[in-house]
Amino acid sequence: MAPSVKEDKGGKWSSDLVLDLYSNLLAEIWELVSALIGEAILAFLFTLAIRKLGEKYPFLNALKVSDDGISLNEAREDCRTVAPIEIHRGFQSLINHLSQLFSTLAEGVINKELFPKVFPRVKEAERIISQK
Amino acid sequence: MRLIFKNLNVLRSTINAISTSLEIKEIVEAAGTNLPNLFDFSSFGVFWKEDLLLFLYQEESCPPSFTQEVVTNMVKVFSIMGEESIVADRITLQTENRKLRPKQMMVDPKATLKSHLTLPLVIEGEILGCISLNSDQPNAFDAQDLQFLSVIGYQIAATLKHFQRFSSIKNIAIYDTLTGLHNRRYFEERLGVDAQKSFYSSTPLSLVMVDIDHFKKVNDTFGHTEGDQVLCKISSLLKSSVRKKDTVARYGGEEFMLILPETGLGEASMIAERIRKLVENTLFEIANARINLTMSMGISNFPSHRAKSKEELVKMADQALYDAKRGGRNKVCIFTGKSV
Repeated sequence: MAPSVKEDKGGKWSSDLVLDLYSNLLAEIWELVSALIGEAILAFLFTLAIRKLGEKYPFLNALKVSDDGISLNEAREDCRTVAPIEIHRGFQSLINHLSQLFSTLAEGVINKELFPKVFPRVKEAERIISQK
Repeated sequence: MRLIFKNLNVLRSTINAISTSLEIKEIVEAAGTNLPNLFDFSSFGVFWKEDLLLFLYQEESCPPSFTQEVVTNMVKVFSIMGEESIVADRITLQTENRKLRPKQMMVDPKATLKSHLTLPLVIEGEILGCISLNSDQPNAFDAQDLQFLSVIGYQIAATLKHFQRFSSIKNIAIYDTLTGLHNRRYFEERLGVDAQKSFYSSTPLSLVMVDIDHFKKVNDTFGHTEGDQVLCKISSLLKSSVRKKDTVARYGGEEFMLILPETGLGEASMIAERIRKLVENTLFEIANARINLTMSMGISNFPSHRAKSKEELVKMADQALYDAKRGGRNKVCIFTGKSV
């Protein structure tokens, strides 16, 4: 099911809407991968990926990772001044980097489970945002 | 369903065996013994960052080139996860070769690493190492294998963390925090063990009690911080002047003890005299000043002094040290046999 993303009154994608879209996607990745490798390892990998990309996309540093999952609440404030396309690129890089880590660890085992469910959604997000 | 129950039972007993292990080698063996009932693999590895130890539990027919490939891959994956490069040459590799497969399924001598599952050993956000399942067969592992391995990995990480905590508590209990030498508590225990061994086997044992002469003057003139630095410097001189089997401990303040197992009076005197001269000839730099220091030492010995207990041996060394002080300091004195 596609994420519920709506245009704001100006007909543009606001930061909040892009964040909602990726919040759903990351929650789905979390649910799927934590069932395979457990929350602690996954939290570690998320933290690793955020540290790697945080310099290029500083808003990612505001993501809160714990064994319970990933929260974007604090990132919302930081994202007010960031262009939605930049937020989209940041999250896209994060997901790409995570999938590289998964592949380093388990070759295709994690990505085989993940790709059919998540990849079309990433593509769809890309399509929606690039239209605007 | 029956297969799931069987696997869960194997998993349960693997976790139980890991959690009751007392050292990393036991962990690997406990896991290695049970894992063939869960997975088809050629080798199973555990890398522990703290000691740079890599244990491999592998099928005995694995060629050395395959083992090397596994090591290289584990180091590579750990370096990515740990964000630090580990030089493979610095790692101590221990391999346990076991018959994991029937004869007709022996690993080809030219086999290469075709598939692996490697997971970081993570606890409280800290990476302690990694574990790895490896195979010479392509696509050897699936999602369920990954789930099982992650559960085993969690238990290994928790057990390793427990080892780490235990070892740091042990260090606090037996080392002197200022000098890094063993503390008095450890000295008492060590002397108990060495004395008992010596009394029963009638092998010689020497004890040297060391005291820095006029150390109070150093503290009064230069302050306690500088005094502490002198204690550290002398401690490292003592440590580097004895043999591996000897024990050097800080007994209290500026007093130290040397336990010299399997050492007669003659040899103990030589060691003590060498240390005395070394300190006498060392210039200690304190707060822009260079000063000379000396030490007095008292030696007691079993069986020469007929001590009947470790306490008596300590009293004899103390008495000899008193003689050295009274005799003008910067001396090594042997217990003279007068009453203690």
